[in-house]
Amino acid sequence: MKIELQELVHSYPSGDRALDGVNLTFEGQEPVAIIGQNGAGKTTLVKHLNGILRPSSGHVLIDGTDIETASTAKWSAKLGYIFQNPDDQLFLESVRKEFEFGPRQIGMGQEEIDRRMERVADLVGLTGKLDTHPFDLGPTDKKFCTIGAVLMMNTQVVIFDEPTCGQDKAGNERLGRIIAELGRQGRLCIAISHDMKFVSTNFSRVVLMCQGKVLLDGPKDQVFSQESVLKQAYVTPPPLTRVAQESGLDRPVFTVPAFIEAVKDAGQH
Amino acid sequence: MAKLCVADGSGNFLDRMNPLVKILGIFSFGLGALIWPDFSLGLVLLLVLFLLAAVAGILPSFSKLILGFGLPVSIMLLFIQGCYSPKNRVIIASWGFLHLGLEGTLYAAKIVSTLLVFLGAFYIVNKTTYTGRLVAALSGIGLPAKIGYLVLASLNVVPQMEHRIKVIRQAQSARGLETGGGLISRIKAYLPLLGPVVLSSLTDSQERGMTLETRGFGIKGVRQSSYVKVDWRKSDQLACWLLLVFFLLVLLASILSRTGIYPFTYDWGGGR
Repeated sequence: MKIELQELVHSYPSGDRALDGVNLTFEGQEPVAIIGQNGAGKTTLVKHLNGILRPSSGHVLIDGTDIETASTAKWSAKLGYIFQNPDDQLFLESVRKEFEFGPRQIGMGQEEIDRRMERVADLVGLTGKLDTHPFDLGPTDKKFCTIGAVLMMNTQVVIFDEPTCGQDKAGNERLGRIIAELGRQGRLCIAISHDMKFVSTNFSRVVLMCQGKVLLDGPKDQVFSQESVLKQAYVTPPPLTRVAQESGLDRPVFTVPAFIEAVKDAGQH
Repeated sequence: MAKLCVADGSGNFLDRMNPLVKILGIFSFGLGALIWPDFSLGLVLLLVLFLLAAVAGILPSFSKLILGFGLPVSIMLLFIQGCYSPKNRVIIASWGFLHLGLEGTLYAAKIVSTLLVFLGAFYIVNKTTYTGRLVAALSGIGLPAKIGYLVLASLNVVPQMEHRIKVIRQAQSARGLETGGGLISRIKAYLPLLGPVVLSSLTDSQERGMTLETRGFGIKGVRQSSYVKVDWRKSDQLACWLLLVFFLLVLLASILSRTGIYPFTYDWGGGR
């Protein structure tokens, strides 16, 4: 699926320009992370992808069709969106019912729902908790319940708003597995995140936003090597990457093995 | 963003006015219109309120409220009272089985004008008063902090709920729930929204209560200092006196008129 943003502008009624002429294309299955300080326009941007917000000017095209031609509920069959706060999303009396709600809305058959239920529950780690009330889940599981509810809809694109918010290490690792699994299935994953370590571990493409504009867009090693632009957008690369940069290594690194490798290489020269 | 009132005492004279004077204004105008023998004073006060709304720069929303609420209520009351009031004696118009009586019509006009004066005055005060200032002023004259918080919380809860409902509606439509469209789909869409709104506001208020306690709210034996300072200016004193004198004059005139000592208001064919 191809998502194109053309000269996208969004002004809030107060007159603030949250998006100021954004041009972007999302395609394929390479996971994309959107980074930037608070108020940079990240959430406003992704809320346009399934028509929750409508452009003040400019266009959002999904496979060539303008977003304006259908309601968000219609687009939800193609693009899944996981909200930041699970409490805004969950309202049914069991995890199972939450999982069934979205697929039913978009007309998925019961057989397919049952088949997907097992796999999705396993992926989000809620297999034993399908009959629990969502409000009895801990914050981590609650978040995974909302993620599972959207994954159940089997959409071509999945959008995460701050998935790591309030997650522990195990939760972050599970998120990583979910993102990798989506990639393997050929689905596009777009995520907003402040956690640079999470971004550099799980995403290959990074989009940097600042004051409603896209400052950088490209492979993560290119984006994280633009120190001055990152600084301008008040974003700091992951600690290990910064250590490598400060010590003058010739390439950006994101993992300990890559770091050791780069140090060894530098020693040989 | 939730739209909270931004009036902080720096704008026009209504913003700057002490909230207590404004509350006095609501009662002085509203009760004045209520005790006056007929609807004329209410009508005049309504005009004054339109002027005040224009000064405060909220004329469009004010007019919308007064017309949007006032017109349907007037028509309804005119129909009920005008056609079916037991007080009706003088018939001023009749269409077949419907007879419009003068007494009932005047009574309807009286009720509507009084209601609109109360409503309009309250709306203007609400729109031009930062809730924090109102509560600070009330605490200044001895309102307990806990009651003050109740006032503050209940005035703030509406915009907060509005904001929440908007986000929840977005979240549900992103899950394939059609929230627009015809009446039936709207009603069907309403139920899934209700649960999260109520539940999350319950958990919210519980959390807020706990954070207030951790910050020493409700501590006993300590005189709390107020974060918001509300002055009592000379102009407030003047406005206060004017409102009181106005009300007393209306009261006096009404008593004189109603007891028949000096019936100076126009006699609408005995329709008082």
